[in-house]
Amino acid sequence: MRTTVPVIIAFLSGFAMILLFFISPEHSKIGTVELEPEVLSWVTIVGGFTLLLGVVSILRVNYVAVQRKKEGWIYNLATLVSIFAMAIPAILPESWSPLLGTGTGSIYDWLFNNLDAPMMSTMFAMLAFYIASAAFRAFRARNAEATLLLITAALVMLWRVPMGEMLLSGIHESIPEKINTYIMNGANLAVQRGILIGAALGAAAMSLRIMLGIERTYMGK
Amino acid sequence: MSIWMILAYIFLIVFGAWLLYKTFRTGDRRFIYLAVGFYVVFPILITLDLPTSISPEAEQLYDAVDTLPDSSVVMLTFDYYPSTLAETEPMSRAALHHLFRKDCRVVTMTTIPLGGPSIAERVTREVADEYDKVYGIDYVNLGYKANYVAVLKGMGTSIKKIYPTDNSGTPVSEIPMMEDIRNYDDIDFIFVVADNAIVDIWMAIVNAQYDIQVGTGVTAVMAPKFFAYIGSGQMTGMLGGMKGAAEYEALEKQAGTASKGMGAQSLVHLFIIVSVMVGNIIFFFERKPGDKK
Repeated sequence: MRTTVPVIIAFLSGFAMILLFFISPEHSKIGTVELEPEVLSWVTIVGGFTLLLGVVSILRVNYVAVQRKKEGWIYNLATLVSIFAMAIPAILPESWSPLLGTGTGSIYDWLFNNLDAPMMSTMFAMLAFYIASAAFRAFRARNAEATLLLITAALVMLWRVPMGEMLLSGIHESIPEKINTYIMNGANLAVQRGILIGAALGAAAMSLRIMLGIERTYMGK
Repeated sequence: MSIWMILAYIFLIVFGAWLLYKTFRTGDRRFIYLAVGFYVVFPILITLDLPTSISPEAEQLYDAVDTLPDSSVVMLTFDYYPSTLAETEPMSRAALHHLFRKDCRVVTMTTIPLGGPSIAERVTREVADEYDKVYGIDYVNLGYKANYVAVLKGMGTSIKKIYPTDNSGTPVSEIPMMEDIRNYDDIDFIFVVADNAIVDIWMAIVNAQYDIQVGTGVTAVMAPKFFAYIGSGQMTGMLGGMKGAAEYEALEKQAGTASKGMGAQSLVHLFIIVSVMVGNIIFFFERKPGDKK
């Protein structure tokens, strides 16, 4: 029962989506109900519940860690405080106070623009330092393939910035255009197409496995 | 070029070379970090005036938007997290300048719950104020709805069904601009600014199934993937990374943060290339015969 019902739901949901793809919305009415918008509304509602599930899960994990005073519990506490500090003013209606809700000038908006966004940008910016250090240690012309990768990477890096483009044009004015034509729209395009087609076929196969109940890892099995 | 700029460039080269020398002498990677920090901060203090050449992909996107009739309806998406704001926000800003200058009606939305609606609200309002555009008449922010595949597919039938209210909770049926915008049939162009795989969904669902033009602005690491869509004619132009944003700013003659960032990005790229080259030269000369590592 615990396996059969989810498999039936997965099959019917997947089958309905495939069927609706081939039928125009006008022809997919059951009585007065338009099937496609109805099914998609349900998908959106279920998506909303998955977000809720994520919030409940993170609250539970962090609460248990704080309660048991696990190592580094202070960080778990910081997570809990942050969640409530962002969520409570955002959930409360804007009609009570302009500081509530998610509009411009609200507490949520202030926290997002002045804490969340700068912190996330800073974390991402740190990558520049690690990439620079890793590139200079890892990019070694050990063999023919590595040398080819090194030269291509150097050319593309130069091509993507004005100063590098000036240098390349200084050697020969057609070099930037040739990089665009032969590397990006040539070798790169061919490889990317292969990856895209391969990934699409893989996704289709995986969807079929889920619909037919062969793939059951989403049920924790 | 003024004498001060020549001195600045000499200082950049000499200091960079010294840091590189110290890195190789000591093997301490902190000198690399210091060099990257220096090359990012220096162009903020002294502006390096660098010409921006326009790539065919950016030009294609600009032309596609530019040839839209005035008052066209354009959907602009804010499908990015705050972490990539440096690359993506200038794209959104440049696009909004172009769209509002052309008196296009702009529908903004996002598939990113973490900050997407706030970024869309802030950026759109700031640019709209410069052009005296009114919310609800010239632009609308639909905000976020969960499950992007269902959202993108559902808007093909009815936007109001997927977004019953806008980002601030106003019913979409009460917004004057949305009266005649029912679904993708009423949208002339979609400008996707994204830092994640949502671009594939826009192409596979919206472009392929509803035959609507989609142009994109994506981060530099994502850009190579989408040359496949450009090559097949499915994607109508693309901006790749901060350079792409700077190209759009140059086309729109609105120099913004992306154009200013080109100095820092140029210097860091050049430093990495030089350090890799020098590292390889040392590696080549220090390699013992028969050493395969």
